Amino acid sequence: MDKVTTIEEAAALVPDGATVAIGGLSMNSAPMAMVRELVRQAKRDLTVVGIVAGMPVDWLIAGGCVKTVVSGLVSFEGLGLAPNFRAMVQAGTVGIEEYSEHLLICRLQAQAYNLPFMPTKAGLGTDVLALHPDTLRQEVDPTTGEHYVACTRLPVDVALVHAHAADARGNVRVEPKLLWMDSEIVNAAAVTIATVERVVPGREFTDAPERTTYPRFMIHAVVEAPYGAFPTSLFPNYGHRSAFFDDYSTAARDPQTFKAFFAERVTGPPTWRDFLDANGGAGALLDIARRTA
Amino acid sequence: MSVSPTAAAAPSAGAADWRSSPPANDYTVDELMIVALSECFVDGDQACNGMASFIPVTAFQLALRTHAPDLVWLAGAVGLDPQPDRVPASTLEAPLWRNSVMYVEQYGDFWNFALNGRWLQKFCVGAAQLDKFGNGNNSVIGAEYHKPRVRLPGTAGLGDMGSIGKQLYYWNPNHNPRAIVDRVDFVSCAGWLGGGDERRALGLAGGPELVITNLCVMDFEPTSRHMRLKSLHPGISIEQVQAATGFEVLVPDGAIGLTRVPTEHEVHLIRHVIDPDGMRLREFGK
Repeated sequence: MDKVTTIEEAAALVPDGATVAIGGLSMNSAPMAMVRELVRQAKRDLTVVGIVAGMPVDWLIAGGCVKTVVSGLVSFEGLGLAPNFRAMVQAGTVGIEEYSEHLLICRLQAQAYNLPFMPTKAGLGTDVLALHPDTLRQEVDPTTGEHYVACTRLPVDVALVHAHAADARGNVRVEPKLLWMDSEIVNAAAVTIATVERVVPGREFTDAPERTTYPRFMIHAVVEAPYGAFPTSLFPNYGHRSAFFDDYSTAARDPQTFKAFFAERVTGPPTWRDFLDANGGAGALLDIARRTA
Repeated sequence: MSVSPTAAAAPSAGAADWRSSPPANDYTVDELMIVALSECFVDGDQACNGMASFIPVTAFQLALRTHAPDLVWLAGAVGLDPQPDRVPASTLEAPLWRNSVMYVEQYGDFWNFALNGRWLQKFCVGAAQLDKFGNGNNSVIGAEYHKPRVRLPGTAGLGDMGSIGKQLYYWNPNHNPRAIVDRVDFVSCAGWLGGGDERRALGLAGGPELVITNLCVMDFEPTSRHMRLKSLHPGISIEQVQAATGFEVLVPDGAIGLTRVPTEHEVHLIRHVIDPDGMRLREFGK
């Protein structure tokens, strides 16, 4: 079965109200082309899982797509706070379910392994536990007397990941294999959509099966989106585009300015290629390619 | 050891005689903090860093080039024994783990190293708010969690590393009464909790060891687990520390020592070899 599709059709796999997990970590490997399309299609009431996230969550919030953020952290790291996340959560417009990184991983693993809970000692003693009486339980092991946290399942409707290559059948290669926590969301998700830098002939996979990262039965749609993580990075192909982060944060100081910026630079351009052109085009792409060379 | 000693050498002092380099006259407080943090990491330790950790990654590289050539550094929890040519704009991105000897392919593998108590026993924590018992907050400022005055980035790995037996080293470049407080608004990172035996009673090993700020170095009194002055940075008084702290810092009897001043060699390494772009100064709002 040919799983290669358009970004518009792939985004249509995400219904309003879905729980959508976003791949990548902080400034790395976020599926930005797909996230942009979700905003363009005006998805609503999404529960967005981003374990350590930044720009993709902020775009979805800016687009009015988000009901609740389930996350360990949302920021632009050294480049500042994520402005829409901060403003909307402070205003109560967007809900936040905050977990530590490993508590979220355990919830995803409980889902993936079909277990009622996954235990961990991470998070013990923090105020995070009291935020989640329905999904985290602090318990004492009756045999050893050790305290642990029982982390219940986190069902994910759709996982979005960005990778280097895929074949038409949906085998995906992340190379070099730096997955962050993408494998955790893929393992837990009912549906995974992979955007990739290149769709390649299946022969490239049969020639080197040891380099395959996700098997085709776990991938439901493949979309070719070169520079699809922009303005985040894809190691080793390109670094993050700090000028975009700076422009974005500067625009966000004023709501009207940001609205115009977001329309012009993010949602307005009709295609992904147009989006790249609106954000520096070839010059910007050469710059980010050089930075991790 | 992965770092070339000749590349690290100052014009006036080779790597071999880093011990004999004289105190620098023109050091700045970022360099003082980096040296103090680097002294916490010795051969036999395994260090890793999280995001926006410019001072820790500079300190690890300084330790590697001076007293701890066999320190293990897992850059960004990804790259083992990296050789970055500078401190990059993100401490969780590829330029930091240039020329590593190994990549940790997924964070699940990192947690295999981190959770079992054998490896990565020390961890550096930057938190927006830190309290007298060494609990850290990076989540919300304000009494009501769901109506915060300020929504901060979030718990992320702090909520894990505080609970799994690590010795915690806090750094804070902006020591003030809103940052070093009596009680954090939210415990993102478990320190000594309510003090005394509370942390141990929960079965948690490790705990906060040191707090390195732009004014002083503090530790924790072993019984009460209350924050205590350990050394003053040159030119700083006890009164200045008290005025900048949201509670009364314990002051031990007798003379308070001075934090060691960086040597000329250390200053050279930090400024010209490890962090020539001055990324560490971002932590001071520069």
